[in-house]
Amino acid sequence: MMSGLYRNPFSGVNAVQLTEAKILEYWCNPFIYDLFTEIKEEDVYGDEMNIVFMGGRSTGKSMFLRYWSFPVQLEIARRGNIPVSDKLRADKGIGLYFRIDGPKLKSFFGNGLSDDYWSALFTNYFELLVGRQYIEILIQLAFEKVFNQQILSSDLVPGLNEIFQFQDKGSLDEILQEIDNRIREVEVYLGNVPFYKEPFLPSHRGYLSQSLSFGIAKFLTNKMDYFREINFVLLLDEYENFLEYQQKSINTLLRFTQSQIKFRIGMRLEGFRTFAMISEDDFIKVGREYREVRLEEIVNIKKGSSYFNFLVDVSKKRLEAVPAINERKFTNIKSILSEKENVEQDALELYQANENAIINFFANSKKVPLADLEKVRSPNKPLLELMNCILLTRGNRAEDIKAAMEDYLARRKTDAEKKYRLDYVHKYKLSLSFLLCSIYRTNKLYYSFNTFAFLSSGIIGHFIELCRIAFDEAGWADNESLMNRGEINKQFQNNAAVKLSNTEKRQINRIETYGGIISRFIDNIGNIFREYHLDFKMRYPEVNQFAINVDAIQNEKTQKALKAAIKWTVIQKKPTMQTTGPNESLQDLYTINRVLAPVFQISYRTRGGKSVILNETIVNDLISSDKINISLFPKDEPIGKKGKNSKPPDLFSQE
Amino acid sequence: MKKDIYQMELLEDSKINIAELDYLILASGSDTRAYEVLGKIASHLRNKIIVIHFKERLQNLALSDPLFNFKKLTLPNLQEITSEIKDPSSCLEEIQLNNFSPTSKIAIDISCFTKPYFYFLLKLLCERFKIANILAFYTEPKSYLFTNGLFSTFHTNSGPLVPWEIPGYSGYEARGSKRRLIILLGFDGDLSKEINEDVSPNETIVINGFPSYTPKFKDISLIANEKLVSDHNITIKYARANNPFDIYNVLNRIKNKGNPGFFMNIAPLGTKPMALGACLFALHNPDVRIIYPLPENYENKYSDMCWNSWVYGLPLMN
Repeated sequence: MMSGLYRNPFSGVNAVQLTEAKILEYWCNPFIYDLFTEIKEEDVYGDEMNIVFMGGRSTGKSMFLRYWSFPVQLEIARRGNIPVSDKLRADKGIGLYFRIDGPKLKSFFGNGLSDDYWSALFTNYFELLVGRQYIEILIQLAFEKVFNQQILSSDLVPGLNEIFQFQDKGSLDEILQEIDNRIREVEVYLGNVPFYKEPFLPSHRGYLSQSLSFGIAKFLTNKMDYFREINFVLLLDEYENFLEYQQKSINTLLRFTQSQIKFRIGMRLEGFRTFAMISEDDFIKVGREYREVRLEEIVNIKKGSSYFNFLVDVSKKRLEAVPAINERKFTNIKSILSEKENVEQDALELYQANENAIINFFANSKKVPLADLEKVRSPNKPLLELMNCILLTRGNRAEDIKAAMEDYLARRKTDAEKKYRLDYVHKYKLSLSFLLCSIYRTNKLYYSFNTFAFLSSGIIGHFIELCRIAFDEAGWADNESLMNRGEINKQFQNNAAVKLSNTEKRQINRIETYGGIISRFIDNIGNIFREYHLDFKMRYPEVNQFAINVDAIQNEKTQKALKAAIKWTVIQKKPTMQTTGPNESLQDLYTINRVLAPVFQISYRTRGGKSVILNETIVNDLISSDKINISLFPKDEPIGKKGKNSKPPDLFSQE
Repeated sequence: MKKDIYQMELLEDSKINIAELDYLILASGSDTRAYEVLGKIASHLRNKIIVIHFKERLQNLALSDPLFNFKKLTLPNLQEITSEIKDPSSCLEEIQLNNFSPTSKIAIDISCFTKPYFYFLLKLLCERFKIANILAFYTEPKSYLFTNGLFSTFHTNSGPLVPWEIPGYSGYEARGSKRRLIILLGFDGDLSKEINEDVSPNETIVINGFPSYTPKFKDISLIANEKLVSDHNITIKYARANNPFDIYNVLNRIKNKGNPGFFMNIAPLGTKPMALGACLFALHNPDVRIIYPLPENYENKYSDMCWNSWVYGLPLMN
């Protein structure tokens, strides 16, 4: 058994649940890794424009937003033995973090009462929550004697009383207590409204939009010297959970933010339910009311290295936090998982079980003459043998293939060797491994740091979850390797990949409103990709992306379903338009979340080149039909269509 | 507090006088257990029977479906109310025609109600009609329907899920309080994970039904919820699967132990008697919030055959 000081380093860390101390312990500053090109670190408190941070579940939005919040600023100040007032002054900003969970937001809805009615009640509630945080911060600053007694009693408290319309509160604590009472009044009402279906009748007037959220900041910056150079940054998390009328209310605040009050909003991609504001004829617009920063981007080779380094350091912090691992110095996740998969070794393990399987397959299923097949055999190099067989089916002479292979193996620089090497190393090796698995009727193994990083699809949480399951598997079944050598067997890693893949796929069905539709679409498109992977002509290796103009889809349900798929990161859009194949026009390209690759037994990376081109009719078919005709998606598309001058795609050419 | 003294009897052994009941409220359903209690007591029952139908369950249902089996019984004083699973308060208008009084003797058979629905009814009886005590009936299923393997394919509901506060159980989150989430474990492992992420508590406690109706159920629930229970920050406790008072007492102990500054959230994903105990606890502790994932669709049938039928005496007011 493991030492008592062991626990799974990747389990149980949800940013919303972390204490401020843990946030600092696990924090890896994304700016150091150059993960955001759109903003600089000082923009978080300083940028005049509102900023919306977008990314799928577990992309680190909450961790990011919480890091800039006042409680973490306070913790940093404590650790540095400086007053938090100095820290805020140095930061030139104070972060007010809000996360209202989905169930609470949805309780402001229904019971026969109109959206306008609920909007007024929600606005009152939101203003109270914001107001409460201002007062909590002021109490902390008062504790540090930022304001003297004279200012407190003559200016601050009376000024706040006026803003809150309180008559007789003599201290910040009393103001705070009254806010608590009013919040409670709303929550008690929410509990009882289903049984009475009557409007809220509070003992006082509710607060209007901006009255506290902006009103207090304005008062402080105008009346208190300390705040003259400090911005108030409202960090609003999980904005996608806000109902449409609630977003209208906050969108309106975005439009009217003032010089020292800014929003930093965390939400999923496509998390805006509306861009409208409270006034019917107006809406917010990116670039005008807010900037967008994406926390989730499809991992590619160009961008990959900084993301990979980030993952290594995120993992290191977690591994170091577990004494049993830290004391053994097993804190490099690349060593634990192995840096890259070894497809040749995996192939060899299959081959050794039946050395004639490839030859037999081509002789029986593809009717290739056995004599030719025997000539291109490559004992103990099954991927080469498989490629050779495929080259035979393409009309190449067995002798030429054999000669090119021998040049390649002997490292003789010839033209044939060059083409053979480029085809094998840069173009087909991974594709061959999928085909080999199909011949041996087994599944491809997904393992290694590199594979996990790609499977994570740019979502840090996916990577952490893959590691968590792998550690769990190894902890149960191969404690010896884990704790003595700091290694996790590839089979356990693969189990983790398959398990997470299945879980994520099952979850699709649970997506609000469009779950069933998206699930069917993914089943169909995943199987189409799978068909490309099983194409023994290997015309288009590793096809796993599709092209579609989502905004041009006229069927509202179909368009909303695809947008919901983006919001939930079931599909991911490539950041720029690309060609869908040689001589094709530029289009928006999408991949299915690579975490689903093990379910469909397809490639975990996107190498560009061929994309499946969809249009509205085809998408409608894919979302509505349980059994689609895969032949509609021609893997045997005539090569001539590509044009004489087109080149076969290079590895990662489109990344 | 009378928390350790309770009434829980097998229907067959019960001394309660069925003839004294003024109302029996039950939900129609295709499960065999839907009318098990009704069949046993209908002939003794002199007063009104209220059958609540759910639109969602009636869709595309043949008249031969077991859901309509209650029509085979002689029920002279029957009120049928059609309502929506999604909106429990949709029955409000018709149900309040009954003018229940604080002295009304009411029983509710929870066997085929969805949990949010019977939570709503119990709070309605307590909040609006000031009824202090009711009887609850519950028939245990002999088995649940697992469509494809035991550990990942059980779903009482189908399609998308959205975690909601159950109407009437919003609780109150005091400033500075920490969140505690207590999940009564069911077989649907994805649900617990989803709710844990949504609530994002500082502390999560899961309660598994043990002893369960049959020995394997307690293991299925743990394995199905593997991801959650394997988290090192999570505490596992146990309470009898068919005893609402047992879960009540466990919840009460959790509440009274340690730091009082916790905002308690309960997700009743386990058996209905466990959910009933949590409901009672929340009625007695209005600061507690109940979270439940409301699905767009429910499976019409998810259990099979009947085991024991129980009668519980519930003090709705503390």
